[in-house]
Amino acid sequence: MTEYDASGVDVTLIRCFLSLTPAQRLERLQEFMDFTEEIWRLNGIEPSFGDPADAG
Amino acid sequence: MNRPLEILRTLADHEVEFIVVGGVAAVALGAPVNTMDIDIVHTRAPENVTRLLAALHALDAHYRHRPELRPTESHLSSRGHQLLATRLGYLDVLGAIGKGHTYAGLLPHTVEIEFAPAFRCRVLDLETQIAIKEETGGEKDLAMLPILRRTLAERRRIK
Repeated sequence: MTEYDASGVDVTLIRCFLSLTPAQRLERLQEFMDFTEEIWRLNGIEPSFGDPADAG
Repeated sequence: MNRPLEILRTLADHEVEFIVVGGVAAVALGAPVNTMDIDIVHTRAPENVTRLLAALHALDAHYRHRPELRPTESHLSSRGHQLLATRLGYLDVLGAIGKGHTYAGLLPHTVEIEFAPAFRCRVLDLETQIAIKEETGGEKDLAMLPILRRTLAERRRIK
């Protein structure tokens, strides 16, 4: 079941993420980073980080 | 290789005074967003810059756009953004964020998060993350706001 709020945000995903510990949340992020880089590598794409003023 | 927790642990082990901001701060507080780098704001006091430089050396940090260039004390003493690559992933070291928010101004708006026993970091709270994104108003910031606002509401609901 998925529940979206008025802004289109998937609330179930937030609740799932909040059920994790902070370390577990960063481990999920790490999996995303590794997956994204693997896709980049498979497509021969060098990372692009945009305008330094956009950082943060 | 991306090991955000290990990057934070290295900074903590070197007793660097810093605040996690940006996407990793949002994730740490429960927002399901994605990012490819860690953003930190550090105090630019000389002794902290020295500790930060040692941590960056341990991480083999160099500039992403100029791999031959390593950060120096002069770079880290500025309010500028140092966009670095390390052996454990990407790290942005920021002297200030938004419209000039520095470590000292942000510090009262942080929470201390324990990632593991004896491994704690200060993270910018969700209220301030939202306020700075509203203030900045960039497209990327505005796109993230609904998720941050809802995450904050859910955190308050389950307290």
